[in-house]
Amino acid sequence: MARKDFLDIESLDSEEIIPLLDQAVPFKDLFTRSVKKVPALKGKTVLMLFYEPSTRTLSSFEVAAKRLSADVIIFDVPHSSVTKGESVRDTIDTLQAMRADYIVVRHRLSGQPAAIARQTGASVINAGDGAHAHPTQALLDAFTFREVFPEMERKKVLIMGDILHSRVARSTSLILKKLGVEVAFCGPGSLLPQTQFRRFTNYEEAMAWGPDVVYLLRVQKERQDAPFFPSDREYHQVYGLTDERLARIAGEGIYVMHPGPINRGVELCDAVLDYERCLISQQVENGIATRMAVLFGLKPTKS
Amino acid sequence: MNLFLKGGEVASEEGAPESADVWIEDGIIKAVGHLAVEPEGARVIDCTGKVIMPGMFDAHVHFREPGQEAKETIKDGTEAAINGGITGVVMMPNTSPAIDSPTVVNRVLEQGRKCRIPVYTSGCITVGREGHEMAPIAGLKEAGVLMLTDDGDAVPNAALLRRAMEYASDFEMFFASHCEDPQLAGLRALNEGEVSYRLGIQGTPALAEEICMDRDIRIAHATSTYLHIQHVSSALGMETIRWWRDERGAKVSGEVSPHHLMFADEDIGDYDTHYKMNPPLRTREDNAKLLQGLKDGVFRIIATDHAPHTEFEKSQAFVDAPNGITGLDTAVVSLFDRFISQGEFGWDLLVKRYSAEPRRMMNLEVAEVVEGKTADLIVFDPQGETTFTKEFMKSKSSNTPFLNQTLKGSVDLVILKDELLLER
Repeated sequence: MARKDFLDIESLDSEEIIPLLDQAVPFKDLFTRSVKKVPALKGKTVLMLFYEPSTRTLSSFEVAAKRLSADVIIFDVPHSSVTKGESVRDTIDTLQAMRADYIVVRHRLSGQPAAIARQTGASVINAGDGAHAHPTQALLDAFTFREVFPEMERKKVLIMGDILHSRVARSTSLILKKLGVEVAFCGPGSLLPQTQFRRFTNYEEAMAWGPDVVYLLRVQKERQDAPFFPSDREYHQVYGLTDERLARIAGEGIYVMHPGPINRGVELCDAVLDYERCLISQQVENGIATRMAVLFGLKPTKS
Repeated sequence: MNLFLKGGEVASEEGAPESADVWIEDGIIKAVGHLAVEPEGARVIDCTGKVIMPGMFDAHVHFREPGQEAKETIKDGTEAAINGGITGVVMMPNTSPAIDSPTVVNRVLEQGRKCRIPVYTSGCITVGREGHEMAPIAGLKEAGVLMLTDDGDAVPNAALLRRAMEYASDFEMFFASHCEDPQLAGLRALNEGEVSYRLGIQGTPALAEEICMDRDIRIAHATSTYLHIQHVSSALGMETIRWWRDERGAKVSGEVSPHHLMFADEDIGDYDTHYKMNPPLRTREDNAKLLQGLKDGVFRIIATDHAPHTEFEKSQAFVDAPNGITGLDTAVVSLFDRFISQGEFGWDLLVKRYSAEPRRMMNLEVAEVVEGKTADLIVFDPQGETTFTKEFMKSKSSNTPFLNQTLKGSVDLVILKDELLLER
């Protein structure tokens, strides 16, 4: 993989995706050893630029970079000049002086990481931009999916919830499709845009489609400027994984995934977390290995 | 000045261009036709193969002065117009402060008088374009305002718009509407559709424009007011205008911009802010239907919605970058390149919709290349070509999709009264 940046799934083809997934396998094997580090990025600097709050993605990247022996700088956006009105472009010009080799960006605005990538010779990794893309999440989802189903072709994944505001839905649906997986969306009509994928507003109909994995999404209240459904309670009843629905899912052996953070009592009931085919913690662990693979595979253009 | 334009084709609102020589002396067109002898003492300019037509008129420009002179000034804006073959403009009132009082109108028109082409202005319907209080309509009229609009936004309060129309009925002032329901419009970054989903940005549905169009036309119709709908982007919205005009006899007209005829949301590609404007680019299907509407006469005028922004502003993330593209430098050449040279429409349509009708709408004298009229004309070379570099364009900003592109056609001469404003 000779690319400089990792910005979205759209521009990747399966010939690039599969080597990345393969590369993550030996990195994951490291985690069971006493020494979990490799010297691959020794002397390199990874700058974390998170304009939006994040716990798991930020720490996942930090761990990934450190396990590759890179130096990690976490730019403290909430306490920076950004709060004094400095533009992203000017911030990047300033940060260039730190000569970071990799910049990991999360931003509330779609397209901001791409704009930064055009401005800097450092490798830019999109850690989530607006409702646009979350490509490393997609990669870890595909990795997790492949661990469960090594033959991915024609398996079915139902992505359920707030499709409209979800960058995860966009990126994960695309990567799975590129790997031959069938994808469908399910959710309330107000959160379910017209896309290339099959679309269900009815839960029963969606389950009758026969998914191998149900991928739940968090309802993104912070991105909604007007109510899209009446209440969490009603959402849970109509589109949530309730106890009754979980029983049926368990009976059919369907796997459950979720990008986190979860909202208990909204998109899922507590019992889902104890379900043996719930892959949530496996996704988190795989996030580190796949992000190591991304950092390892990118080639910054400046020295 | 004594000029003899020899051997060109003279275009007008009706019919195909006719070959004729044009003799201009002391700012007046002395003769149009085949002259037996060249006028004595005249400078002869060979116009063989070129089209001579009236100067264009743009009824929708944002000159940013006062308040945002880093983007554009009245002087630079008019130079961009001249560069593009346009000899008159109407400014929109969303300056800072807004053009909502005789004081600001006077200041703007005073700056305009220092320019080489006439500058006219619209005025606000509501104070500060804020949609709360009625602007001093009689005072604006007195100061020289030609048209009332809150362009940049719709008047959110339908009752206030109705009262303003009723109140203005005595002042022979007409209204123009930027149609947009603000709640439906949301972020105002791009059209709602496949592209907005792919890019992960909340889209603005065409519905937001169409619903407001219907509202404003109903109010205008109920108050017997002439209403001009600005920058129509949606084909269904265009049909709303057509229906009210043809089925109900409403006094309503429409305007289409070159970019809404030429570009669609898919051109945004990877967040190219040179394709970000409001109303947004819709779909290829809308392009085709709007073009047909222009040919059918649903659109009374073509206007650019010239909206300059600095390079820095446009380099921001797509959502943060301001809406708008420049248009004065590029309009005539791009309309030639995309439509006239392709046989989509003729020179008569361009002259009618971008020169004659906008002047008529503003109650100004129509420019014509006929004997006895004031010289207000341009010479266009269909064999030429134009490369829109930053240096070529005279606007202070260069936020246009045509930046660094080469298009067919070239504006070679611009003549107004006794002055040769441009010679290439």
